[in-house]
Amino acid sequence: MEVTIRNAPSFANLLVNLYPGDRIVAEADAMASMSSGIEMTTRWNGGVFRAIARRIFGGESIFVNEFKSTKSGHIVITQPFPGDMACLELKGNTMFLQPGAYIASEPQVTLGLGWAGIRSFISGEGLFRMKVSGYGRVWFGAYGAIFTREVEGEYIVDTGHLVAYEPTIGIRVGMAGGIFSSFFGGEGLITRVNGQGKIYMQSRSFEGLAAWTNAHL
Amino acid sequence: MHDVSQEFFGGVFNDKIEGGRAAAKISIHPQGLVAETLEEQRFEIPFGECQLDKGGASGRMIFCRNNDRSITLFCEERGFPKALESLSLGAFSGQLRAIQQKQRGHEKTFWFWLTVGSVMTLIAGVIGYYALIATTQAAVAALPISIDENIGSVAIKSVELHARLDAGHVATKLVNDIVKELEPHSAIKGLNFRIMVVDEPTVNAFALPGGQIVVYTGLIKNAKSAEQLAGVIAHEMAHATLRHGLKGVGQSLGIIAAIQLVTGDVGGLLALSTQLAQESILTSYSRKSETEADLEGARMLHEAGIDPKNMADFFQMLEKLEGDIPDLLAWISTHPQHADRIARIENYQKQLPQKPYRLLELPWEEVQNQLAN
Repeated sequence: MEVTIRNAPSFANLLVNLYPGDRIVAEADAMASMSSGIEMTTRWNGGVFRAIARRIFGGESIFVNEFKSTKSGHIVITQPFPGDMACLELKGNTMFLQPGAYIASEPQVTLGLGWAGIRSFISGEGLFRMKVSGYGRVWFGAYGAIFTREVEGEYIVDTGHLVAYEPTIGIRVGMAGGIFSSFFGGEGLITRVNGQGKIYMQSRSFEGLAAWTNAHL
Repeated sequence: MHDVSQEFFGGVFNDKIEGGRAAAKISIHPQGLVAETLEEQRFEIPFGECQLDKGGASGRMIFCRNNDRSITLFCEERGFPKALESLSLGAFSGQLRAIQQKQRGHEKTFWFWLTVGSVMTLIAGVIGYYALIATTQAAVAALPISIDENIGSVAIKSVELHARLDAGHVATKLVNDIVKELEPHSAIKGLNFRIMVVDEPTVNAFALPGGQIVVYTGLIKNAKSAEQLAGVIAHEMAHATLRHGLKGVGQSLGIIAAIQLVTGDVGGLLALSTQLAQESILTSYSRKSETEADLEGARMLHEAGIDPKNMADFFQMLEKLEGDIPDLLAWISTHPQHADRIARIENYQKQLPQKPYRLLELPWEEVQNQLAN
């Protein structure tokens, strides 16, 4: 299986070339086009209850689609908003993805839902997070461009910009400045990322878009 | 050596690894910690060099770094800290305790600020709510009374008045005469009171902004005297003169506007306002408005020389009737408890200077006979 991220960073999509016997799991409704010989099977996103929990708390679909090819073919997988995509290669390690970021993965990757905690909820990152572990590649998307950083110690990210992080990274909520400047300076709450590991961030945030749109209505 | 070691699943950070990190098997040996990656790279930190830290996404992950921080081992398994403590023969007891204390400190700070934040939000909400009400009340007072009249004439169209008695009917004349007695004593002048009497058994009466008053014959029939009827009409006139309709709309709109300002959704405001205006005028006034109207009505009665006790008597009568006539519920459901109202009116009356009250010279018997036929 060969996967290329095309049209990045603005309108990234995955071109997946499948060889006979290859399989790929993708978020429901992520398929934009595919060769006629590819079979699609829909299954619960990891068991009925987990799937429902993932839908309610993780912002993911109840169902995922598995695409399988008996002969060679290709499939184009996309995400609903404009932005970049990135690939993670898991070798027995774990990564956390923000709700809605997951796009596709190889079949050996385990998709799970992890409790993210009240701190994460207050900082606008959601009460739950998607946990991907196992072996294989995972593709995830973001709104805007994706940029990464190797954190060692503490780093500050505005709420809504964190997309993915390693389990070695801790998250704390904080105020951008004092009480006054935090709320009138437009920064409000920020996310304090600490520990050691890699974080993936998006250059735009949905809250930012919503606020900007509202101002022009 | 291997028989005393214990293995855990975790990972390691080091520049020699491709990508800088890898999942690894971590084993605790008598001399120190050893991490072995899947690619069989091996990293070792002797106990003497090991700096512990706790954190990670779960807050439970234990990190172990060597002196120059070139190697970082990490493990999240539950038994790891305990095994580390026992297999290192207590070398980490101090470090582990310090970590635990630090974490507890963080927890405390977090919950402290969460509580402070919640309380402040609540206080700001309450202050904001009352400030908003005060502002809208002041704003409404500044608006010309013609706005009340416009709203009232729009609102009356959505009321079904099939069995409306004509202006020449004795009952309509009676109510008009009562209004004329009270009008000179109303809080604002120049309000054009218009009376509609509807021939329905409902024991109800209501006022619309601008001075339109609807009285159902059921209410006239159940009143024991013209003075009792005057009590109810004074109450309804007070709603109009105190501009409760407009205040209600203003308040609801103000609250919605404030919510939208906070949540950022401004688009829905216009769509909601029209619907809300009609609803809040026609459904009910708030209990606070009802109490205000009771007292203002009592004042008007007193000024007009009619005993305000008649209003209280009417409520007392309603209370007795309540079980018998289900139609009564229409008026009662939107009005405060009778006992409270009666007590409030009586208290208020005590504060008023004593004066001789009169009886209204109106054809009460004739009206009752006409309505009975």
